[in-house]
Amino acid sequence: MISIKGVRNGLVVICDEEPWHSQLSELQQKLDSNARFFRGGRIALDVKTLDLSPEDILRAQSLFRQYDVQLWAVLTQNQATSTRVEMLNMANSLQTEPEDESGASASSHSSTQTPGEPAMSAANDETEAHAASSVTTEGILVRKRVRSGQVLKHPGHIAVVGDVNPGAQIIAGGDIIVWGKLQGLAHAGAFGDTSAVICALDLKPSLIRIADAARSVFPAPQRERARRPEMAVLEQEEITIVPWQDR
Amino acid sequence: MQSVVVTVTSGKGGVGKTTCSANIGCALALLQKKVVVIDGDIGLRNLDIVMGLENRIVYDSVDYIEGRCRLRQALIRDKRAPDLYVMPTAQTRDKTAVSAEQMVAMCDELRKDYEYIIIDSPAGIEQGFHTCLAPADRVLIVTNPEVSSVRDADRVIGLVEAQEKGPAQILINRLMAARVKKQEMLSMDDIVDVLSTELIGAVPEDEAILMSTNRGTPVALNGRGPAATAFHEIALRLTGEEVPLRVQQPVSIFHRLFGKA
Repeated sequence: MISIKGVRNGLVVICDEEPWHSQLSELQQKLDSNARFFRGGRIALDVKTLDLSPEDILRAQSLFRQYDVQLWAVLTQNQATSTRVEMLNMANSLQTEPEDESGASASSHSSTQTPGEPAMSAANDETEAHAASSVTTEGILVRKRVRSGQVLKHPGHIAVVGDVNPGAQIIAGGDIIVWGKLQGLAHAGAFGDTSAVICALDLKPSLIRIADAARSVFPAPQRERARRPEMAVLEQEEITIVPWQDR
Repeated sequence: MQSVVVTVTSGKGGVGKTTCSANIGCALALLQKKVVVIDGDIGLRNLDIVMGLENRIVYDSVDYIEGRCRLRQALIRDKRAPDLYVMPTAQTRDKTAVSAEQMVAMCDELRKDYEYIIIDSPAGIEQGFHTCLAPADRVLIVTNPEVSSVRDADRVIGLVEAQEKGPAQILINRLMAARVKKQEMLSMDDIVDVLSTELIGAVPEDEAILMSTNRGTPVALNGRGPAATAFHEIALRLTGEEVPLRVQQPVSIFHRLFGKA
């Protein structure tokens, strides 16, 4: 069983002791079902004690690349694998970032993310976020306006103090809470957590998604008048929007 | 010399970056400032046309950067103001001709002699935009009072913040007070609410702009009309003076003839 963990400098995919080809196909399933969450991010792979050939590692790298994910580090307790990782110019610990790649990733991310923004990373070192459907309890707090074209991704909960402008995206493994006006796109429960909620003082997103369900929130006349805190929840596979005080 | 590089940009095209760059440059020059306006839109140059200096181009910024001329030779002096210069760009090249480092180096050279260096950025958020953003001390983001250009301005403000440039300020161009009143157009408050960025001024829609662009005489040079007044106020704010924000009302022919508002 592959699990995914959020750490300070990104996501770590933790493998088990199964044969490599079956792990890769499981990984592909995970990437498939959460493609939106992973897209454009970078990931570290923890292969435990597996003895992997350079081809094995490159196969993982090209698999990630298909989903627009950058594999930047391979963590291992196997000395032979560790040497091969180094030969492939990848990092073998979370501390060291490969020099050439950090520049490239900084420039490719500058268009979507502000440097120093905790996107794709956790506030705590040990935030568990299983790619299956477990509920995560850890979250991040972002105290800034999220602007058009900016993407905020986190495997746990996301709380934003400030407005989320049209054209921005918030994608969380857990819940999303916006202390302000939520426009743009919000996706809670991105790993399939159907109990995830999206709350905002002023809920006007262009599109909301909870787990696999989606709904566009058009400003209906009665919703336009009532500018009050609202919450989007998943009820019988349909996203419903309820006033805050009713819950 | 105390010198400021002001980059005028927008994201969306056609909102009036070149018109604003030219007019702010002229207005600053009429305030006795030493000003150079740089055309940053390599391959699609327009600034020289708007300023009416097209037929005086001998060398351009790419010639200077590639060492075919000296800085002074590339600059065109605009005699209509005391100390106003225009740095045209190459029409036969593209955005790859000048790198961000080269733009910074050229601006550093110009900083020695000029108080205000205005860069007219190309539309978009690609290389040309980043080249023009690199030397900026201040960034003016031009937007029209309509949803798509405000959305693009928001995107650009995000990029400017990410580059730690700025402070970015918004310049609303082509505002029509009457249509705002009828709620057919976004108001200044609507725009500031979405962008939550300081406003440096609002330029009203003014027929005089079209004429002046075709003639190559920026409205700020003759100093009359609502748009010209707005540009002069923006120039004053750039120099650090406190000028209260207000929207210039266009004066109709009827009011001009009978003198009653």
